[in-house]
Amino acid sequence: MPFLDVLTSGQLLFAALVTGSLYALVALGLNLVYGTMRMLNVAHGDLVMLGAYAAYWAFTLAGVSPLAAAPVVAGVGAALGYALYRGLFQRLIGGAQIDAGRVEANSLLLFFGLSIILQNVAALAFTPNNRAYQYLDNVVRIGNVSMTGNRIAVLAIAGLTCIAVALFLSRSVAGLAMRAVIERREAAYIVGVDVDRVQWSSFALGFGCAGLAGVLLSMLEQFSPFSGFPFTVAGFIVIILGGLGNLLAGLLAALLLGVIETYGVALTSANLRSVLLYGVFVGALVLFPNGLLARLKGRR
Amino acid sequence: MARLRSSAWILAAAAGAAFLLVLPLFGNDYVVGVGLTVLMWIALTQSWCVLSKMTGYISLGHVVFYGLGAYLVVVTWQQVPLALAIVGAGLLAAAFAALVGLPVLRVRGPYFVILSFGVAELVKFSIMAAESAGGTASRILFGAPDLGVIYFAMFALAVAATLLLMGVSRSRFGHGLRSLRENEEAAETLGVPIVRYKLLAFVLSAAIPGMVGGVMALRSTYFVVGQVFDPMISITVIAMAIIGGGDDARGPLLGVVFLALLSELLWSRAPLLYMVILGSILIVFVLILPNGLAGLLARQARSPTAVAAKAAR
Repeated sequence: MPFLDVLTSGQLLFAALVTGSLYALVALGLNLVYGTMRMLNVAHGDLVMLGAYAAYWAFTLAGVSPLAAAPVVAGVGAALGYALYRGLFQRLIGGAQIDAGRVEANSLLLFFGLSIILQNVAALAFTPNNRAYQYLDNVVRIGNVSMTGNRIAVLAIAGLTCIAVALFLSRSVAGLAMRAVIERREAAYIVGVDVDRVQWSSFALGFGCAGLAGVLLSMLEQFSPFSGFPFTVAGFIVIILGGLGNLLAGLLAALLLGVIETYGVALTSANLRSVLLYGVFVGALVLFPNGLLARLKGRR
Repeated sequence: MARLRSSAWILAAAAGAAFLLVLPLFGNDYVVGVGLTVLMWIALTQSWCVLSKMTGYISLGHVVFYGLGAYLVVVTWQQVPLALAIVGAGLLAAAFAALVGLPVLRVRGPYFVILSFGVAELVKFSIMAAESAGGTASRILFGAPDLGVIYFAMFALAVAATLLLMGVSRSRFGHGLRSLRENEEAAETLGVPIVRYKLLAFVLSAAIPGMVGGVMALRSTYFVVGQVFDPMISITVIAMAIIGGGDDARGPLLGVVFLALLSELLWSRAPLLYMVILGSILIVFVLILPNGLAGLLARQARSPTAVAAKAAR
């Protein structure tokens, strides 16, 4: 395609929006767990993968529509998050204060072990083959842009969920407590925020978002037990570009990543998709060398 | 007491080295292959420790040096003398570390961990894209030297990596690295040239895996980019170092032997199950045995009788 046609194509813009909205949802869950507990969940993408399998089996074995399965999968994801917090991660962190360096390194290795286990258990249980199913693939035309029903549904659900979580964080008491812990942990503890409750609920909310993102992924494209990690990487890019606890900026960063990926692939070739993704990832980290922790500290 | 234990260590290490040295004289190809694998992991893990254990900058991208070294040897196959190509593989890996070191080592903590992974994957996918653009999906190597030559080359690399880590660990440079691991700002204030030290440690830790990759490329007649840049290699190295524990060249040896035996039993027969076990071991060691097998041995040495002996002195 000539350069200008690519830039003005509504088709590509729509594709970028769909990818971006999915990335936003993935990054949201990652951001909540990192924000409240300073834990980089490298297994986050693998939870997305498990959500995709749950939707796949529900649809192919029981004929349950992914739209109906979505809330159930999100709920199971949340329960899993709660259980993991209580079982593994609670003992890593104390009350008000976090020895950031130690917790970050140890939790990273724990999540890393978890990620290896999830990928390979999934491969053992479901075979390493790619899976996909057909759902809502009727074509809708608006202007000169043709969209399939499943893509519209993904954009709508991911977008609405992000808005709902944003409203929860800015309007409800529990959400404000969560933001307080993200921004000033010690201060939140002193003024009586139940930090433990904030932590388990952000784990649950984060894992629930990952499960939901998995259902949406399964509606879009084929996936395998090893499809999760690229989503973890995409989530990290969004967090690094967007900002900790800054949801609006995170949303914009996710859309930007969707645009970079979609247009980059359209302008070059599909072989370069991973090169692009990791290129942006490395670039973002090198430009913000100390991540967001340092930026937050700088603001204080 | 301490002297007794360290002489026991030296004895065990010397016996192990002597055993590995004479192994090709009586072992069949399978046994020599296992020995080669053990030596490869020793070389990779000890060289990883030069940066990651000494400075606390945990690299999840050690495989990038291995892959670059292997790639160089395969690309220059039968155009450059092999010995030269393998030395070149080490130099290429070291040069790559020197090139990316400054920006990458500014990134700290968990961000460095995921960045090192990202750099390795970026290099892997870039080379893959370049190879497929050039129309070569895989390459075939004819006329590689026989297993014995590969084995002794790897033996030399394993010894070199162990001596390198021992030398760094005991030197003034090594103490500087440890001080910046504990507190980078404090170390800098005390006059440790942290930027130079980190970069030097990174470059030193890169050269040996480059040569290891170059030697291992000769082991199979078939070359695939994805295989020599497999993130599994980095993961295994970290697992071996964590399982081994300790703060010098001994711990990794324990970790390598433990995990190499496990992987020999399982990896070829049930790779997925092996990975599940590897992940579980990682979790158990982080939660319960953060100082690894070396820490466990040291704790045993500090048991009541040992403490009493020390008190009596």
